[in-house]
Amino acid sequence: MTTHAPILDTQKAKSEQPKNYLNCSSGFWSWAGTLDHKRIGIMYLIGTGLAFLAGGLFALLVRLHLWEPNGMLFTNDQYNEIFTLHGAFMVFLFVIPAIPGSLGNMILPLMLGAKDVALPRLNLLSFYLWVMGAVLAALAIVLGGFDTGWTFYAPYSLYTNKAVVTIGLGIFLLGFSSIFTGLNFIVTTHKLRAPGLTWFRMPLFVWALYATALLQVLATPVLGITVLLVAFERLYHIGIFDPRLGGDPVLFEHFFWFYSHPAVYIMVLPAFGIISELVSVHSRKPLFGYKLIAFSSLAIAIISFLVWGHHMFTSGQSTYAMFAFSFLTFFVAIPTAIKEFSWVATIWKGSIALNSPMLYTLAFLIIFAIGGLTGVILGALNVDLHLHDTYFVVAHFHYVMMGSIALAFFAGLHHWWPKMFGVMYNETLAKIACVTIFVGFNVTFLPQFEMGSQGMPRRYATYVPEFQPYHSASTVGAIILGSGVALMVSYLVASLFIGKKAMQNQWGGVTLDWLTPTPPPLENFAHAPKVTTEVYDYSTLDLKSTQTPIG
Amino acid sequence: MLAQLIQDPAKAAAALSRAPKPELDAYGQLPKLASTFDHVDGLFYFTYAVCIFFFVLILGVLLFSVVKYRRKTFDQPPASNTTHNTPLEVVWTVIPLIIVMVMFAWGFKGCLDMTTVPQAASQNTYKATAMQWNWTFTYPNHPVKSSGAVWLEVDKPAQFLLESEDVLHAFYIPSMRVKRDVVPGRYQTVWFTPTQCGEFHLFCAEYCGEQHSQMYAKVHVVTAEEFAKAPWNTFDDSTPALAAKSGENIYKALCSACHTVNGQSVLAPSWGGDKGLFTKKDGNVVGRARQVVENGQAKTVVADEAYIRESIRMPLAKLAADFAAKANMNAFGPDKLSDRELNAVIEYMKSLAQ
Ligand code: HEC
Ligand code: HEM
Ligand SMILES: [Cu+2]
Ligand SMILES: [Cu+2]
Repeated sequence: MTTHAPILDTQKAKSEQPKNYLNCSSGFWSWAGTLDHKRIGIMYLIGTGLAFLAGGLFALLVRLHLWEPNGMLFTNDQYNEIFTLHGAFMVFLFVIPAIPGSLGNMILPLMLGAKDVALPRLNLLSFYLWVMGAVLAALAIVLGGFDTGWTFYAPYSLYTNKAVVTIGLGIFLLGFSSIFTGLNFIVTTHKLRAPGLTWFRMPLFVWALYATALLQVLATPVLGITVLLVAFERLYHIGIFDPRLGGDPVLFEHFFWFYSHPAVYIMVLPAFGIISELVSVHSRKPLFGYKLIAFSSLAIAIISFLVWGHHMFTSGQSTYAMFAFSFLTFFVAIPTAIKEFSWVATIWKGSIALNSPMLYTLAFLIIFAIGGLTGVILGALNVDLHLHDTYFVVAHFHYVMMGSIALAFFAGLHHWWPKMFGVMYNETLAKIACVTIFVGFNVTFLPQFEMGSQGMPRRYATYVPEFQPYHSASTVGAIILGSGVALMVSYLVASLFIGKKAMQNQWGGVTLDWLTPTPPPLENFAHAPKVTTEVYDYSTLDLKSTQTPIG
Repeated sequence: MLAQLIQDPAKAAAALSRAPKPELDAYGQLPKLASTFDHVDGLFYFTYAVCIFFFVLILGVLLFSVVKYRRKTFDQPPASNTTHNTPLEVVWTVIPLIIVMVMFAWGFKGCLDMTTVPQAASQNTYKATAMQWNWTFTYPNHPVKSSGAVWLEVDKPAQFLLESEDVLHAFYIPSMRVKRDVVPGRYQTVWFTPTQCGEFHLFCAEYCGEQHSQMYAKVHVVTAEEFAKAPWNTFDDSTPALAAKSGENIYKALCSACHTVNGQSVLAPSWGGDKGLFTKKDGNVVGRARQVVENGQAKTVVADEAYIRESIRMPLAKLAADFAAKANMNAFGPDKLSDRELNAVIEYMKSLAQ
């Protein structure tokens, strides 16, 4: 969407060193105390990126250990701690906060044509809550680790003599970090849209972050209450979840999944948003079914509150509950399918640039198709009774969490990297890394579907020998995947020092984020931009001036 | 093994292909069905086929578009700017909706079959007791229990009453397609009719702590004649040697998750080796001295029959000093370990003396 072309301060910028948000001030406190949404976004990027690398390291250890049926590296106890650390780091420190915290913070105000988010101080507080959560997680490792799995099922989490209270407190703080980000985005979207930017002219990334924010604000308090109850139960033995005191462990599962199913959509909706943007820009075509995609985000947000019981089909719930939960689970598959079809239809007859953000996007579309379709298999009641808590479920949610969400995050990172830092990474290396990650990912997780449906239970430190070929293949895949990620991190970091200067509108986008200089100045726009055209209208794009790469 | 794969891939691959093969069904995705729940397989393969169809469709359109509509010059416009096609959108909403509703109905019907226990099964009720980290089975018409293995009669519906002594576990027999969480504080039930003779895995499918992956039992499905001989009833203490052998079986089923007999005390004091419970002195087997903690006081006691008996019946009374902080042994009362069985275990401990 074009605006009354803000000429901005380009004239002035030519005569002197252009000031942008990166070089306008320096020193530790200019970052640590910043209220600028872009700097906070960068700090989130570094934080969640490090958490991802730590979680990835744990994952590699898990996979190496499982090379042999009796385990290659650890005692069972150590193995249990490591897979728990992997899951908890990835879910709470990376997948949930990464996209809203880094790319959301960075891009949402730009897309709205705003100077900043509505509540900059709350934004900084949310980041520091994340840091404190991460510190508590690290502290929990020092205090003896924790071995409950990321799901903290009672009563085991009540009896184990590990640092469960510490990590519980960490998750409590991380929950508030997430709530504050959501609150901020809701207010920002309502209040700070540029003149002319009506709801149905908003880019879909904004819609997705908005739907996510609703979930964050409504669902996360339940997680906070649940971990507090676990902590109280451990410290004061109240008798809520502990069967020895008359409590009910299944109640814990209900509480936990009442948050954690919506949470999977807290994780995935921002990824959907990124993909919607990228599919359109790199096909240079308005999104197919814009409104349907926007509404399906909201539909998913609402229905996702009503399906938590599909994680508990084997817990002995009544057949009526199973009936309802299975029915609604299948229902949630429909808006998800509509999205996937709409993206594919957007690419159809587009003008497709095969650059690295688009490669990551294509990888997402393929992997997410598998992730979503296998979710449908799990929604079938009698089949789930066989597949629940096996590697089939592990493979399913890695297809959506690692293969889809992390890859969408990488896609968005490559897409907005030039905007964020004003430099381009090495495209050839980026393509090699993308293909490596794609191959490594599938080699890791396809065998897990096989062994899962054959009956391999999850969270096993050792296993019966007949599953070894699948485990070994999976380990090889993890090594490939790990090297792809290592390559990606290296060229991205290197680009900060030796990268070529990026163009203002590197890919030929028409949303407001591409209108600001690259990197943007402190308050983003010299004058509030005015929106006069419909969203994703590429007819007004001045191709000569952008010279977008064709990939 | 990993090093071997890098150095000598051919040999490593050969070693892998020699690994025991599970018995799979005709399509190779599920273990060969050994119960009557064939609707699980039916719906699984139906959804699988639907998934493959949609996946191939999506992949095909994507690949075709990427090849055909690839941007060749930087200003190439898209081949079309369509943003809507109502018939198409209706089709891709309604058709998946119909398909998933079929899956839902099919799955629910199957689920009703699996949760409605027929009369014949409830007249043949076993009890499976789960505790960290072993399974013990009580039989419908036989006083002797078995641990770590269970015997069933082929073609006879059986119900299992599931109870847990401590945390969550899950009762999972892949070949029978049954899984149910074992929840402390309440009873759960599953039922199935085994249709194939043979040996099958019973896994614990809900994470339950340190030895979760070793919480295993073997399911033996046998003919009616075989079953009538009560093959699990191997307990025999008519001579000290046979008693020690029976004690060893009990050890393997109930105690080996924590205790070793080779002198390594990782999770719990080892029963053998140079710090084992018993030692040989002048040809006699005598108890060794133990450091214990009783009511917070450190003490030295002799590991005689009385001490061992107390350690099993009331583990918290005297704690082995090295494990006082991590004493997680459940009490084994007479309902879990009869006096004769306990004596057999002690006989086995004595046989380990060096
Ligand atoms: C959950 C793990 C676990 C299981 C299963 C278990 N134990 Fe133990 N056992 C321990 C631990 C830990 C100790 C040390 C603390 C204590 O003295 O209670 C111990 C101590 C003992 C002792 C005292 C040893 C000594 O050196 O002083 C005896 C005897 C014993 N167990 C017998 C048994 C028998 C017999 C069984 C099986 C019927 C069994 N245990 C099953 C964990 C276990
Ligand atoms: C088409 C949409 C989807 C359907 C129908 C679906 C269905 C299911 C079902 C039924 C289960 C429970 C399986 C079991 O434990 O037996 C499950 C597990 C899971 N799903 Fe999905 N899913 C879908 C999409 C997603 C998405 C988009 C995400 C993530 C962002 C996701 C993340 C997860 C996770 C994390 C688990 C397992 C958690 C655990 O037990 O540790 N799913 N899914
Ligand atoms: Cu869910
Ligand atoms: Cu278990």
